[in-house]
Amino acid sequence: MAETKDTQMAVSSEGRPVAASTKAPSSIIPPVDIYENDDGIILIADMPGVGKDSLEVQVDKNILTIKGTIEDIVPKELKPLYAEFTGKEYERAFTLGPDVDVSKIEANMNAGVLKLMLPKAEEVKPRRIEVKAG
Amino acid sequence: MLSPWIGLSDPVWRDLEVMREEMNKLFGLGSPMANIRGVAQGTFPAVNVGETSEQVIVYVFAPGIDPAGMELTIEKNLLSIAAGRDTSKDIGEKPKPEGYYRQERFSGNFKRVISLPESIDPGKVEARYKNGILVVTINKKEEEKARKINVAVG
Repeated sequence: MAETKDTQMAVSSEGRPVAASTKAPSSIIPPVDIYENDDGIILIADMPGVGKDSLEVQVDKNILTIKGTIEDIVPKELKPLYAEFTGKEYERAFTLGPDVDVSKIEANMNAGVLKLMLPKAEEVKPRRIEVKAG
Repeated sequence: MLSPWIGLSDPVWRDLEVMREEMNKLFGLGSPMANIRGVAQGTFPAVNVGETSEQVIVYVFAPGIDPAGMELTIEKNLLSIAAGRDTSKDIGEKPKPEGYYRQERFSGNFKRVISLPESIDPGKVEARYKNGILVVTINKKEEEKARKINVAVG
């Protein structure tokens, strides 16, 4: 649990109360489906509220990171009555194997669902190995 | 082949677990404070409700759904939403069960009934679906809207 000092409010120069803690709120971990076929890996993530422009997919070395920000849809004067969903930023990261061709990753965002195609490098695609009798 | 970056043994997760237990004691299974139409945590889709002086707004976090297949009804102060999605169709081919490493996304049909404040006018509803969030805006009854009262000097 947070210590008391984290939850105490301070007053800014404008006189409005601000949270004393500067800690960023934790991000939402989007649920994913991950599927592999002969051509590559398909990663699908639920990120409601994220549009094409507020999405960020990056690969640094072998770490794939998906990030997204929920676009503003809530009017400023809205008073919350009930909430099952909290947060504004999505973030999730995965380690890729050396068999993924990072230069050919394709991303598609539609109705809050991100679909990533991670193709395998040509040389690692499965080949059928013939078993000789005798 | 793909592995999550953060392990579940991280102390942050244990703190969250303690918090969740506290919340469950208050509102979860077995608590008399639980709403009769309430659902378990993590149920798809998540719903938020808020109000302004003029409207009540419901946000349904339902990504990847064809709006044409959504059934939205309002009766008195109960809003119900029925829809579904088949996540196997997102793969682009007929998936083999053994091809999945993770299947965390909800697949199937759902119906949620949300009890709204009595102040709403069920005749004035508007629904919009954008980026996977369904936003339902319901006007409040004229007599329930907040009014500004001028104070006369005298």
